[in-house]
Formats: sequence, structure tokens, C-alpha cells
Amino acid sequence: MSYMMYVLLFGLVLGLVAVASNPSPYFAALGLVVVSGVGCGVLVSSGGCFLSLILFLIYLGGMLVVFAYSAAMAAEPYPEGWGSWPALRLMVGYVLGVGVAWVFLGEGWYEEDWGGFDGLVGVSVLRGDMVGVSVMYSSGGWLLVAGGWVLLLTLFVVLELTRGLARGALRAV
Amino acid sequence: MTPAHFAFSSAFMLGLAGLAFHRTHFISALLCLEGLMLSLFIALSLWTLQFDSMNSASMPMILLAFSACEAGTGLALLVATTRTHSTNRLKNLNLLQC
Repeated sequence: MSYMMYVLLFGLVLGLVAVASNPSPYFAALGLVVVSGVGCGVLVSSGGCFLSLILFLIYLGGMLVVFAYSAAMAAEPYPEGWGSWPALRLMVGYVLGVGVAWVFLGEGWYEEDWGGFDGLVGVSVLRGDMVGVSVMYSSGGWLLVAGGWVLLLTLFVVLELTRGLARGALRAV
Repeated sequence: MTPAHFAFSSAFMLGLAGLAFHRTHFISALLCLEGLMLSLFIALSLWTLQFDSMNSASMPMILLAFSACEAGTGLALLVATTRTHSTNRLKNLNLLQC
């Protein structure tokens, strides 16, 4: 089980290497989908099934879908994949950088490194992280109000930025 | 440094490097920013789960809400840039170049 955790963490780092090497946005969005899927696996392996579900639904199913069809603005006839020379060079550089950091920081990685103890397991149908998020609705109610206000404000920010016509925010004068 | 801590820290650093060393497209920089937010979400969730501090489980949720705001604003900037400069290539943003 801890081996699967190792594989998932390795996939997380490798997926972000694929995104950070800046290929064509189609491939970068695909890499980000893989990274968020693997990240969900990491959370599930640590016992956080509710947070993993939130990540899948909201992040992958909400935000990344918007990015995927916004990548149509970067449409080009020959999209540059990970096999092109600049992207490959960046990927090799990033992998080497992570390897060097691993050599310096990766001491004492044993079997007993995996923490995580959910006090409600076997006692209740509620998981620990679900109960923790419900605190946001009880004691953290004002934070929810502030978050909702920020989301409404962002809607108006977006509408102002994309207004166009004669008074948009970005104009090529 | 535990393996999970090393993994999401290096994921954050990689996203930051991808954002800093952007190449051609504006939207690839925005995607690296999303990768940064994803690594922060995983970091906060792993903090909650591995240290058994269930009270801080609301932190990744709030982070996700604000990162959605930021992604929406970034995409609005992308749309505005594409509308005025006809492309989202970063070499086209050269009005202030001497």
C-alpha cells in the first residue's frame, strides 16, 4: 500500500514536469488532468475520500473543463508535443533538478513514514475530513459569506474585463 | 523531509518554474498557475489528513474557491488579450517594447 503511495507521488511530480515544460496547451491541460487524478489517488490513500471527491468534481470537472475549451484560443496547425526539442530539454532539466533535490533532501524514507489516523473509522459512516469540512458551515459561517462575496465580485471583474466594445480593460491603442 | 512533503514541494517548485520560464502561449502560463494551486490543495489536504487535525479540513476548500476566482480572472484576461491582440502568443504583447 505504501508502494502505491510512492507510485502516486512519483506520478504527481512527473505530471507537473510534463505541464511545466510548456508544450502546446492541449498537452499541458492533459498533463494537468493526469496530475489531478493522481492527486486524488494520493488523498484517497491518506484517508481523505471527501476531499478527493471535491478535487475531482470541482477542480477537474469544473475548472479544468473550462481550461480545456479555452485552449481553443491557442489553436495552431502543428501543436508542439513533448517530443519537440525545447520541451524535451526543459523536461530533462526539471527531472534532473528534482533528482538533485531528492539526493539532498531524501534521507530516511522508510516504511513508517505514512501517517494518517482517522479517529472515526469503524465507528461511524462519517469520515474525518467530511466532519472537518462541516466546521466550515458551523463555526466558519462568516468565512463562507466572505467567500461568496468574493465569488460575486469575481463575476463582475470578469464581466468588466471581457466587456470590449469601447471601454474594455485591454486595448491595443 | 517525508516523501509526500517532498512530492508536493517539488510539484510547487516545478509549477513555479513553468510559470517563470514560460515560452510561447499565455494559456500555458495560466495552466502552470493552476498546477501551483493544485499542489497547494494537495499540500493542505495532506496536512489535514496526516496530522489528524480535522479542523483544518476547511482550508483546502476555501483555497479551491479562491483559486476558482483566480482561474476565472486569468481566463478573462486571456479572452481580452486574444480579442485585442488576435492571438495569445506572448511575443505579441510588445506594445511597450522600444
